[in-house]
Amino acid sequence: MAPYDLVALFGTTGSYFVYVTIGFAFGFILESSGFGDSRLLAAQFYFRELQVLKVMFTAIVVAMILIFWSTALGLLDYDEIWVNPTYLWPGVVGGLIMGAGFILGGYCPGTSLVSVATLKLDGVFFFLGHVTGIIIFGETVGFISSFWNSGYLGFLTLPELLHVETGVVVFLVTCMALLMFAGFDWLRSKIYGKKK
Amino acid sequence: MNTRLQPEMLGATVLLLASAALAFHGQPDLNQKWEFLAPKLEPGLQQRTVYIDPAELLHLMNDDYIHLIIYDVRPESDWNEFHLVDAEHIATQDFASQRDRLHSLPENAVVVIVSNDEFLSTEAWKLLMAVAKPNAYILEGGLNLWLNIYGVPTEEVAHHGKASLGKPDGRMRHRFRLALGDRHAAARPDENLVPQREYTPRVKLLKKIAKAGGCG
Amino acid sequence: MNALAEKAKYWNPYVGGALLGILLFLSFFVTSHGLGASGGVNRIAVAVEDLVIPEHVDKTPYIAQMAGGDRDPLAHWIVWEVAGILLGGFVSGLLRGRVKVQTYHGPQITPHTRWAFAFAGGVLMGYGARMARGCTSGQALSGGAVMSVGSWAFMFAVFAGGYVLAWFVRRLWQEA
Repeated sequence: MAPYDLVALFGTTGSYFVYVTIGFAFGFILESSGFGDSRLLAAQFYFRELQVLKVMFTAIVVAMILIFWSTALGLLDYDEIWVNPTYLWPGVVGGLIMGAGFILGGYCPGTSLVSVATLKLDGVFFFLGHVTGIIIFGETVGFISSFWNSGYLGFLTLPELLHVETGVVVFLVTCMALLMFAGFDWLRSKIYGKKK
Repeated sequence: MNTRLQPEMLGATVLLLASAALAFHGQPDLNQKWEFLAPKLEPGLQQRTVYIDPAELLHLMNDDYIHLIIYDVRPESDWNEFHLVDAEHIATQDFASQRDRLHSLPENAVVVIVSNDEFLSTEAWKLLMAVAKPNAYILEGGLNLWLNIYGVPTEEVAHHGKASLGKPDGRMRHRFRLALGDRHAAARPDENLVPQREYTPRVKLLKKIAKAGGCG
Repeated sequence: MNALAEKAKYWNPYVGGALLGILLFLSFFVTSHGLGASGGVNRIAVAVEDLVIPEHVDKTPYIAQMAGGDRDPLAHWIVWEVAGILLGGFVSGLLRGRVKVQTYHGPQITPHTRWAFAFAGGVLMGYGARMARGCTSGQALSGGAVMSVGSWAFMFAVFAGGYVLAWFVRRLWQEA
């Protein structure tokens, strides 16, 4: 049953090779979808371009369906895959800060890498800022340590929170995503008219 | 009709159907999960590599380095009569609630499941593996064998004898006049005072494969 | 598709999204975890710090766990994934003639203004990503796919933060 112990299968160097491959595909898909373009990314927040919403949520829904069908059929062991632990308050506050950073900077960490890879100068400046922000965090996290560790809810998942079965949550998320796509499309046409 | 819309409609329908089908199919329950795990784990049962001798359990109880968890899955009345010191009484239905705890165990953690013989504990082991796959073992011969070896005839024990005459049937074969739980001497034998017993050590500490996920 | 996306011939977002979703699934399947990015940049930054001011690295707990003493911050899968992202982005851009030194910016501002805001946004992003223990790749995509509550809360917070601030900084991006 998947997942596998990569190091046991391929050795450390081999496992790194797998990650480079995964990263390559990731970067390739991102760039092809236009995510190295800050104008495109920022336009999401003006309802002008909806790539961000559509790519992100399509990816999440597709991955979810594949993952949980695999666990249902015993192909993938759910207990072995990484579920992000929930630290509620730092997660929300960090998210708000990142939202601000997104609209000011025009990128997020992953997309800024793609931008740098295609020699975009705004991406380079963003990257430098990113590194600076990381360093600032590393230096100051000691002062906000109790906040940073607050709101810990363990490896809490939506099905556990809502007391609803996994498959049903997947279905609901799928419906929500599709409704969002239609809704944002409608909003966009209302704001900008049908002109392309 | 915008012809570009057709494939998107098709895609949306596929996703809806796939997720709806998933909701109907459901995720595997513990028994099904055991079925998936069985090919890899069943040999451990058949070759007895997950059964540990009572002397090994005693050694674990006295080893300060080991973080030992003893799950006692017997009926409550048996538990009340006698149980090992620091054991936890738990019904197999409640194993699922242990999942988070079992997933965050340290590298030096060892779980041992005990019942009177091996029937209940073996079934419990399967379910426990389906819940979380901890580093878990089964007490060989159960508490009946334990008491054969370490049971001390005292005035509290009305009837203590080598009960190896009966076939193992999952019932407690040592009777205690008073249900003292873990306050019997046999609940935590002194390693220095009991006869040394030879055994094949089976417990191995698993190297924790660092579940490194997220953004580092 | 939308105007800018169509003009630049970017992929249909549903196609890109589906492919990304399959990749994300394969990542979980093969490696047991999802994708990530900010953690890799973090570690590269720490590695550089370790070269320049190693004693400080050893004394600051948050960084020390990654690079203190003998530890190699680069010996972690995410660093290699970041290397791959750079490569993949480059090759994709190369194939479509999009590898060009230029600055993307809104029509109302100059490239220099854009650089300043890109830097500022980057600082917020870097700080926020560490605060949230992940970024849109690690938390939103990967955590979202496995239904982590914290990840979904994070995701909505990112969108909320962006949308709320967007109106105030519209001069950066919008037409006059």
